Amino acid sequence: MTRLVLIRFALAVPILLGVSVAAFALMRLLPGDFAQAAAGSANVSTEMLEKVRRDLGLDQPIWVQYLAWLGDALRGDFGTSFVTRRPVTSEIGGRLGVTFELTALAALMAMVMGGLTGLASARFRGHTDWIVRLWNGLMLAIPNFVVGTLIVLLAGLYFPQIRIFYFVPFTEDPLGSIGSLLLPAFALSLAVSVTVSENTRAAVLEVASQDFVMVARAKGLRPRTVLRNYLVRNALTPVITVTGLQIAQLLGGSILIETIFAIPGMGQYLFDSITSRDYPVIQAIVLTTAAVVVLVNVLVDIAYIRADARVEG
Amino acid sequence: MSDTDFVTDDDAPLPQRRKAANGDRWMVGLGLAMLALMLILTLLGPLIAPYDPSMTSPNSLAPASAQHWLGTDSIGRDILSRLIIGGRTTLLITVVAVCLALAAGLVLGLTAGYIGGAVDQVIMRVLDVIFAFPVFLLAIAVVAALGPTVPNLILTIAIVYTPILARVVRAPVLSVKSWDHVEAARSVGVSEFRLVTRHILPLAISPILVQVSLTLANTIFTVTALSFLGLGPPPPDPNWGGMLAEARQFMELAPLTVIAPAGAIVFATLTFIVLANGLREMLDVAGKR
Repeated sequence: MTRLVLIRFALAVPILLGVSVAAFALMRLLPGDFAQAAAGSANVSTEMLEKVRRDLGLDQPIWVQYLAWLGDALRGDFGTSFVTRRPVTSEIGGRLGVTFELTALAALMAMVMGGLTGLASARFRGHTDWIVRLWNGLMLAIPNFVVGTLIVLLAGLYFPQIRIFYFVPFTEDPLGSIGSLLLPAFALSLAVSVTVSENTRAAVLEVASQDFVMVARAKGLRPRTVLRNYLVRNALTPVITVTGLQIAQLLGGSILIETIFAIPGMGQYLFDSITSRDYPVIQAIVLTTAAVVVLVNVLVDIAYIRADARVEG
Repeated sequence: MSDTDFVTDDDAPLPQRRKAANGDRWMVGLGLAMLALMLILTLLGPLIAPYDPSMTSPNSLAPASAQHWLGTDSIGRDILSRLIIGGRTTLLITVVAVCLALAAGLVLGLTAGYIGGAVDQVIMRVLDVIFAFPVFLLAIAVVAALGPTVPNLILTIAIVYTPILARVVRAPVLSVKSWDHVEAARSVGVSEFRLVTRHILPLAISPILVQVSLTLANTIFTVTALSFLGLGPPPPDPNWGGMLAEARQFMELAPLTVIAPAGAIVFATLTFIVLANGLREMLDVAGKR
C-alpha cells in the first residue's frame, strides 16, 4: 500500500515538471519583448531596458532562466507583479483561499445534486429516468457562464431583494461567506453535477445487479435498508472519485464565474492580469492551478485504491 | 417512496432493448436535423440576415417587433442578424479547430497505439502534460500569449483538445492490432500504412465519432467563453460570447439582448450533445469511465 502511494506520487513528478516547462515557455517565448512588458511601457530608454534585462536575468541562456525561475517557484517565490510591483506570492495567497472555497462549495453541491438525481433515475427508472436524463442533457448544454449571466438577469428582473455582487471573506463570517457564494457555486456546479449524476446512475445499477444485493433482498431485508446499506454505500466511492476528477473543470469554470459575480478569487485575478499583461502573475496562477489538478488527481487515485479492495497496483 | 425493486439490465426483456435502440437512432436524427438547421442558417447567413450586422440605428434596446424579430442591442444593431453572422465565426473556428485536433489526434493516437513501446510512452507522457491543465485555463493562457485572432483561436483549441482525441484513438488500437485479421493481412504483405488505416482504424471508429461530437460541444463552450472574456475574434465581427458579455450592462432593460445569444450558444452545444448521446447508444460505446 505505502509503495503504491509512493509510486503514484513519483509518477506525478515528471508531469509536474512538464507543466512547469509549459507554464514557463508560454510566457517567455511569446511574441513581444518580455523586458518591455516588465518595464511597464513601450517607450522606455534602451539603457533602462538593458537594466531590466540584467535584473531579470534575461541575458542568460533560456534553460538557465528556466532553472532559476523553477528554483524560485519551488521556494514559493513567483517574482514581482509588473502592475503592483509587489511579490506575486502575497498577491495570490488570499485569493487562493477564495477560489478554494468557491470550488469546494460547488463540488459539494454537484455531489448532492448529482448523487440524488442519479440515485432517483436508477431507483425508479421509467419516467423519472427520462426526466433526469433530459435535465442532465440540458444542463450539459448550458455553459456555466450562461447560467451565471441568466441568474444575474433573473435576480435583477424578478428578485431585486437578492444581493448578487457581494462577497464576505471566510475569516470574517464563515456562514455569511458561504451564503455570498451560494449562487455562483450553484452556477459552477450544474455541469459537474451531470457527470456525477450519470456516474451515480451507472454505479447504482451495477451494484444492484450484484449477487450480494440479491442475497440481501432474498433474505427479506426491507428495500429501504438495502438501498441505504448496500446500494448507496457501494455507489458512493465512484461518485466521490468522479467529483474529484472534475476539479479541473471546476477550476477552469471559476475563472468565468468569478468574473461574472465579481468574486475576488484567483480566476478574476487571472482575467485582470491577462488584460494588463502581468506575465509573472499569469505564470504563477497557471502553474499553481495545474499543480493542484495533478495532485488532486493523484489523491483521488489513492483514495480509490484505499476504498476499493479489488483495485490492485 | 414506493418499494419497487430495481430493474437490472439482466431483467430487461429483449424487445425493450430493440425499442431503445430505435429511440437512439431517432436521437441521432434529431441531432443531425439541428446541425443541418444551424449549418443552413450560417452558410446562407449574409443572404438571409435581414440587416447588416454592424449597422447602427437610433432605435436601441428595442423589444422584439416585426422589423427586428429579436430586438436591437445597445447601439441599435439588429440582434437576429448579429446572431446569424456571429454564428459563422463561432462555427468556423469550432469546426476547423476540431478537424485539426482530430487529425493530430489520429496521427498521434495511431502511432502511439500501433508502434507501442518507447514511442507510445513519449507521446502519451507529453500529452499527459497538456492534459494536466484545465482546458479553459490553458486556452486562456495560450490565447493571451498569442493574441486573440481567428487563426490563433483555432490553433489554441486544436492544441487543447488533441490529447483527449489521441487517447480515444489509441485505446482501441492497442487491442485491435493484435486481432487475427490484422495478423492475416500482415502475412499476405499488406503495407503498414494500409494495415493501420484499413484494418485497424475502421474497428476503432465508434468511440472516435462519439468523442468528436462531444469535443465539438466542448469547443462551442470554449470559443464562446473566450469571447465572453473578451479573448474572442476581434471586433467588428459579431460573436455569440461577445454579444452576451456586451449585453450584461443593459440586460435588465432589454432581457432579449442576453437571452438571444444565450439561446444560440445553448442550441449549438445541445446539437452536438444530442448527437454524441445518440451516437453513443446507437454504436453501443461504453459511456462510463
